[in-house]
Amino acid sequence: MLTIDNLHVRVAGKEILKGLTLAVRAGEVHAIMGPNGAGKSTLGHVLAGREGYEVTQGRVVYDDRDLLELAPEQRAAAGVFLAFQYPVEIPGVNNTYFLKAALNAQRKARGEPELDAMQFLKRVREKLSVLHMPEELMNRAVNAGFSGGEKKRNEIFQMALLEPKLAILDETDSGLDIDALRMVADGVNAMRDPQRAFLVITHYQRLLDYIVPDFVHVMVDGRIVETGGAELAHQLEAHGYAWVAERKLAGAA
Amino acid sequence: MDAALLEEFGLGDARERAESWRYSAQALRALGAQSFVAADAAATPPPALMERCDWAETRGRRLVFVNGRLSAAHSDWRALAQARPEVRIDSGPAGATVIVLPAGRTGLLHIVWASVPGAAPGRWNATCAIRLEGGTAHVIEQHLAAPGADVLGALGSELEVAAGAALHLTVLSDLPAAASLYRRVRATLRERGVLCTTHALGGGRLQRFDFACDLAQPEARCELRGVFAAQGREHIDAHLEVRHAARDTASDVLWRGVADGRGRGVLHGAIRVESGADGADARLQTKNLLLSPHAEIDAQPVLEIHADEVKASHGATVGRLDERALFYLRSRGVPERAARAMLIEGFCREAFAVLDDAALGARLDTWLATHVAAGGERRP
Repeated sequence: MLTIDNLHVRVAGKEILKGLTLAVRAGEVHAIMGPNGAGKSTLGHVLAGREGYEVTQGRVVYDDRDLLELAPEQRAAAGVFLAFQYPVEIPGVNNTYFLKAALNAQRKARGEPELDAMQFLKRVREKLSVLHMPEELMNRAVNAGFSGGEKKRNEIFQMALLEPKLAILDETDSGLDIDALRMVADGVNAMRDPQRAFLVITHYQRLLDYIVPDFVHVMVDGRIVETGGAELAHQLEAHGYAWVAERKLAGAA
Repeated sequence: MDAALLEEFGLGDARERAESWRYSAQALRALGAQSFVAADAAATPPPALMERCDWAETRGRRLVFVNGRLSAAHSDWRALAQARPEVRIDSGPAGATVIVLPAGRTGLLHIVWASVPGAAPGRWNATCAIRLEGGTAHVIEQHLAAPGADVLGALGSELEVAAGAALHLTVLSDLPAAASLYRRVRATLRERGVLCTTHALGGGRLQRFDFACDLAQPEARCELRGVFAAQGREHIDAHLEVRHAARDTASDVLWRGVADGRGRGVLHGAIRVESGADGADARLQTKNLLLSPHAEIDAQPVLEIHADEVKASHGATVGRLDERALFYLRSRGVPERAARAMLIEGFCREAFAVLDDAALGARLDTWLATHVAAGGERRP
């Protein structure tokens, strides 16, 4: 589904990703872990199409298309979703209005019929109930005045509503208490599907107790330095990121 | 002629006038260089123009002025007269109108000021006083102009809100590039009087709005909300002045400005708390959005406080569209143009948030779609 090959990315003149290679197949959950500054969020932003990220080398193929050629909205319509680490507050834009516009724009781009107000509301209610979120949320402006936890849950709700094929979660667990964390994890687990892949970017192993990944990748200094199964997250938690770096050095010697 | 116009449209002495018009001096000079004939009060407004003010919710409650004079042919306030026979509306041939709303629930009153150009550039002058003696009323003031030659309208309004009364005033202006409008409003609020205004100012070669609100007696309160939107070469200049002259008075000014193309906007917001007006609570916030490198907005907040026990805050910003927010919307599938329009409209809608009238909300949405979303549409 997603093949990243030797990706090099510069941000404001500084190389952040330095030859990242990763393959994700449909149905898989990949966790990307790593210390601060490793380039984890940059990866998420580059995949979603944020401006200001200069790809100097390498390529990204998503469903047989060159992902980097597509505008952010085209990527969304093709099924890519990024749950933001810092969801943006947009005062004056109502959640319902925004999400209906987003969903219908995606459907239109895919040649599917747009949903009318009733169909949309039905879908909203269905997803809200799965995530135990109040309907009142839909009448508020996008993320405006939301607590940190509410913003993250709103990201997961949007993911549930838009039903992407490739969902990238950028430190969705940061700043969440244990109940909110569980709710986010439940939302993700409910969406696990043979047709859908997840890229879970996280700093801590905690989230991975709830969302058990198929693969764990350790990213250090713009590259993936180690790949393993779910147990790798626990080893990291026990030994810290320095442990991986040391093992790499030992291996190189 | 611009000296004469400045004399006519400016307040205070020569220095004060020059200062208050500094951001619009050029636009005024250009108007002054032009010669105008008296606009024809008997002109027939084109049907398309009249359609724009024929709102279902205000039928039978509508006064239509054509080039500053009340047009019997286009006005109809029978429903209002039936519901409130004590309402008095007097309009003289010289363009002076007095509307008295006795205590009670008046409901909607829709006042339309239509400028209809003739063969040569035309001018009209009018005054309108509205006295609310008690209870509540909602006045909608709409400014329209037919396309064509230049028209310059000047309207002086007086609003009086009696003790305990509450006046809602919604103003929508929707002017083509050749129309200019000068409006001066003086509002006086008595004890516990409330004035809530929402302005949507759009278009015009020069639109100048001078608003002075006098919180003359204790516990009077005003909310001044509004949006201006200037595209193309439009020029909109709003001067809001609130004077707290008595104890425990409150004011809340919340404005948004948007300029695109070579549009020019000015928002001068001044709050003055007189000595002895203790317990005053004054808030002033203006945020402005520049959508093109050639657009310009000047935001000028002024607080002048002469009392001791006062709560006052003010803030003014001029910025560009938030690229992070734009990316957020696009990453969810909203195409760039639509995302821009959504952000700009949302930015403005904050100033309209206090309205809980669905029909009027829809009118303001239409206004937004015409005057600000088009800016998003025009972008590549």
